[in-house]
Amino acid sequence: MSAAREDAPLRCEGLARSFGGLQAVAGVSLALPAGQVTALVGPNGAGKTTLFNLITGNLRADAGAAWVRGRPITGLKPWQVARLGVARSFQDLRLFTHMTVRDNVLAATERSAWFWQPGGAAGRKRRQAAAEAALEATGLAALAGARAIDLAYAERKFLSLARILAAEADIWLLDEPASGLDPASRTRFAELLRAATGRGVAICLIEHNLDVVAELSDRIAFLDQGRVIAEGDPRSILRDPALAAIYFGDRHEPATAAAETTA
Amino acid sequence: MIAYLSNLATQLAIFGILAATLNFIVGYAGIFSIAHAVFFGLGAYAGAQIALLLVPDVVLACLFAAAIAGGLSLCLALPALRVRGEYFVAASLGLQMVAVTLFAELKPLTGGIGGLVGIPLPTLFGVPVGVLPVALAALALVLLATALLARGAFGRTLTAIRDAESAAEALGKNVAAAKTLAVGFACAGAGVAGALYALHTSFVNVESFTMEYSVLVMAMVIIGGTGTLWGPLIGTVILLSLPAGLAFLPFIPPSEVGAIQQILYGLAMTLLMIFRPAGLVGDLSRGRATA
Repeated sequence: MSAAREDAPLRCEGLARSFGGLQAVAGVSLALPAGQVTALVGPNGAGKTTLFNLITGNLRADAGAAWVRGRPITGLKPWQVARLGVARSFQDLRLFTHMTVRDNVLAATERSAWFWQPGGAAGRKRRQAAAEAALEATGLAALAGARAIDLAYAERKFLSLARILAAEADIWLLDEPASGLDPASRTRFAELLRAATGRGVAICLIEHNLDVVAELSDRIAFLDQGRVIAEGDPRSILRDPALAAIYFGDRHEPATAAAETTA
Repeated sequence: MIAYLSNLATQLAIFGILAATLNFIVGYAGIFSIAHAVFFGLGAYAGAQIALLLVPDVVLACLFAAAIAGGLSLCLALPALRVRGEYFVAASLGLQMVAVTLFAELKPLTGGIGGLVGIPLPTLFGVPVGVLPVALAALALVLLATALLARGAFGRTLTAIRDAESAAEALGKNVAAAKTLAVGFACAGAGVAGALYALHTSFVNVESFTMEYSVLVMAMVIIGGTGTLWGPLIGTVILLSLPAGLAFLPFIPPSEVGAIQQILYGLAMTLLMIFRPAGLVGDLSRGRATA
């Protein structure tokens, strides 16, 4: 294993998990380098979201381990992993729907479960500043008083990102953050990611749109049937005809696939 | 008449505390407990025993009741950590049934079915005192604490957990600790209400801590409006004054008051849920099928 891999803010080795007879993740080893966007690409059911869940502790791994800056995180609870600086977004966003936009973001800065937060008035000021900065960066400042449930689709996606920004994590796991965004929003989203990687944040994103992947990512890990079958720079991965065949679904017995579509 | 009104006011304050504390876990944390009367009862027995065995000091009785009810609130917190929604409602119902049986059977602690009688009149630092001023002060404190907690970071944490538990956890919130604290706070408050109730009536038995009372307090919270500061109090006033008001109406025979009261409760609940699902002072846009 290379030294760069050892130094990566987040790294996993041989993570595996099966559900019943289905091997969802079958021994994935991956490192997320600081200041880079790693795109996780692969067909539906390849194990991308399951891999996120294994890293964040939402699912227990059958085998393998993961480290955050050299510290083992296997077996930790999701909130403990989060406090080590790992933030994630969900494909279905999971916003705090009945709270205002500002409260959604403020909640991301308040980690203590106790009746009050540490740091007193200075801490509160700092958290408020972080929340306002996140709202400003995502273009939600004008909507700060609106409830999350009343936002439009793209605004909800940016709110999910604003929570992560405000949490001040340095490892981001984003599950389809750009899907359904119009070009202008996508540009704004790309700028946010660039600003984050500029600060040294390690980002991993799941994305199905290969144009978005080409535009945003520095590296691609290609997942299929629970394994990383290719890893490298976007150009070489995206041009690989064998991977394209898997991605667009016409591997194994093309005749059967054709039969299924006509059926 | 003065005694009657003073009694009604004391009951209002005591049930106001119950409704406000239940609202804290229902309205903010989304924990629908049908076992609030259990902690009311625990507090009542604890307060009564302090008064019977030690000294009828109202503050001491309240503190002891809060400690017992808050401590045993883990019985409610544990299922709340494992299950949500209707599953938790079922779990809390189970707890309610077990508790009523224990209240009726544990004679040395609760006096069994007969209950605890002859609870001495309350004092405060040796001076005789009425329950009403203490109950009003306790209600004010509970409302103040609820308002402060609900508006601050803790309220945000609970609301976040209610809206999207997994997302709250993914942002570093220790969901188990926050829920346990919220339940502990609410149950300790119910315990205080129980101690005040015991000192007020000077007699307690299991009949005041049955599921019927848990449902009544839940109805107060829902009718007034969950997740609001004043809603539960308004619900308390309505549900407690209704029987008092009906008793004064000359055209209703006294023997029928109970039945008419039940019909009115039921009708009011049904109409409310159709036209104002979030309660009388609740957010109008919440709870509708189309929202």
